Amino acid sequence: MDDSTIICKCEEINVAEIEQAIQSGAHTFDDIKRLTRCGMGPCQAKVCSNLVRQVLRESLHKPMGEISLPRMRMPLKPTRIAALAGQEDSSSVISLFDETAPKAGDEES
Amino acid sequence: MTNKYDVVVIGSGVVGSSIAYHLSEKKDKEILVLDQSYPLSGTSGSTQAWVWVHNKTPAWYGELSMLSAELYPFLERKIGDVEYKRTGGIAPFFNEADRESARRLAEKQAEVGIDIDVLTREQVLEKEPALSANIAGATFSKIDGNVNPFRLVELYIKAAKKNHVQFSFYNPVMDIKRNNGMFEITTEKDVFIAKQIVLATGPWTREVGKLLGVDIPVKQVRGQILVTEPLAPLIKYTIAGMRQADNGEILIGYSKEEVGYDRRTTLDVIQDTAKMAVDYIPALAKANIVRCFAGVRVIPNDGYPIVGPIPTIDNAYIAVMHSGITLSPLVGTLMTELLTDGETSIDLKNLQLDRFNEFKSFV
Ligand SMILES: Cc1cc2nc3c(=O)[nH]c(=O)nc-3n(C[C@H](O)[C@H](O)[C@H](O)COP(=O)(O)OP(=O)(O)OC[C@H]3O[C@@H](n4cnc5c(N)ncnc54)[C@H](O)[C@@H]3O)c2cc1C
Repeated sequence: MDDSTIICKCEEINVAEIEQAIQSGAHTFDDIKRLTRCGMGPCQAKVCSNLVRQVLRESLHKPMGEISLPRMRMPLKPTRIAALAGQEDSSSVISLFDETAPKAGDEES
Repeated sequence: MTNKYDVVVIGSGVVGSSIAYHLSEKKDKEILVLDQSYPLSGTSGSTQAWVWVHNKTPAWYGELSMLSAELYPFLERKIGDVEYKRTGGIAPFFNEADRESARRLAEKQAEVGIDIDVLTREQVLEKEPALSANIAGATFSKIDGNVNPFRLVELYIKAAKKNHVQFSFYNPVMDIKRNNGMFEITTEKDVFIAKQIVLATGPWTREVGKLLGVDIPVKQVRGQILVTEPLAPLIKYTIAGMRQADNGEILIGYSKEEVGYDRRTTLDVIQDTAKMAVDYIPALAKANIVRCFAGVRVIPNDGYPIVGPIPTIDNAYIAVMHSGITLSPLVGTLMTELLTDGETSIDLKNLQLDRFNEFKSFV
């Protein structure tokens, strides 16, 4: 792999960008992800995961076993919102408006 | 790297890195920032990142948020493009009965100079046609917006480094002692001496406070967010509940659960959030969710920021808050004043740690 080889196809991140993140102190896939967006695209790191770990292993001189995998996030495959939205009224989600609007009788302050 | 510093900031999330950067502008202090892992691994990397003002109540808190939002354009000229967009903010309501409290909010916030319009359904839909026709109305203010939290923290740190601030990552603070008026900070890698110390440790503040012998009344509150695939421009404003980022992704979610430091996402909240998305923006039903994430907010027990000196320990300071993205430019500025001159341009009395009855100090 040379510097311009694309590692993350979804977000078009190349080897040089990954190495630069490591140079500024990133030690894990998740650190790199937050700096570069590598692995945050539609494939959710399925393509780039091992390539990034390889660069980490070489740069940090650590065995592969010590290079952690990126944190996996639901849903593992893009899923339509309509399929996720159930029928019931939502209960765990708060309305910002309801939470903050002053109600009649609220104290003055 | 020497081991003696004028100021050691613990935590390099958005709050700690803003403090370090603003303090470094003065160029008269040796500053070190310590982090147990890497910036953005805490709450600042898992946030909606609205720069949100208009319905922060009571009005003094709204005012504080407004002053901070006002600093963003200036900050961006100094540290670079943090993708700050003053989109304007819409907080929809679904019951006509809520119009009255919306008006009351507008009246109260006007007293401190926050402009809020209370919009009818037609007015809201004209502004943001993608919103559901089921809404009754909304409060709206031009001052609200959002920012890219990753760029923000990265550029705070870059700018601070340029001003010679030292950073030590993957280096947890394990012990803090007072020694001849100085702080002796034991980390995994080293021991550092500091004249002044700042706790900017977000959701870990209770634990780090204990190292200093203080019990800081904050709680951890999880929030879960859904992220869509990149979509064509669909929503223009920051809507209470979601925003569209520059790359087209929409971040959706507003949930609160007290489950400790647990960053798992759960199907029930994801489903409820998906339902909210469709209730607000029907067109989102067809959008794909690419991932979900969860972050742990730190919320002081009364809901308002804790910023200022730790009353029982000379030269020890604290900055811990929810809405740290909104407040970071102002908090960085105020802490710089405090650490440099011992006083601030804005009265911190509402923000002091000793307002809590349950604040405890063991020293
Ligand atoms: C889902 C969600 C949505 C949100 N939405 C918004 C929003 O729209 N607008 C807004 O303004 N705010 C929002 N927030 C809140 C905002 O993200 C936080 O207020 C802000 O990120 C807090 O920043 P911080 O620097 O205090 O904490 P953090 O970013 O958590 O940083 C604390 C740092 O301290 C370090 N640390 C801890 N203990 C130690 C130790 N012992 N030694 C060394 N280092 C240590 C950690 O590693 C970490 O890097 C949201 C939060 C969540 C979870």
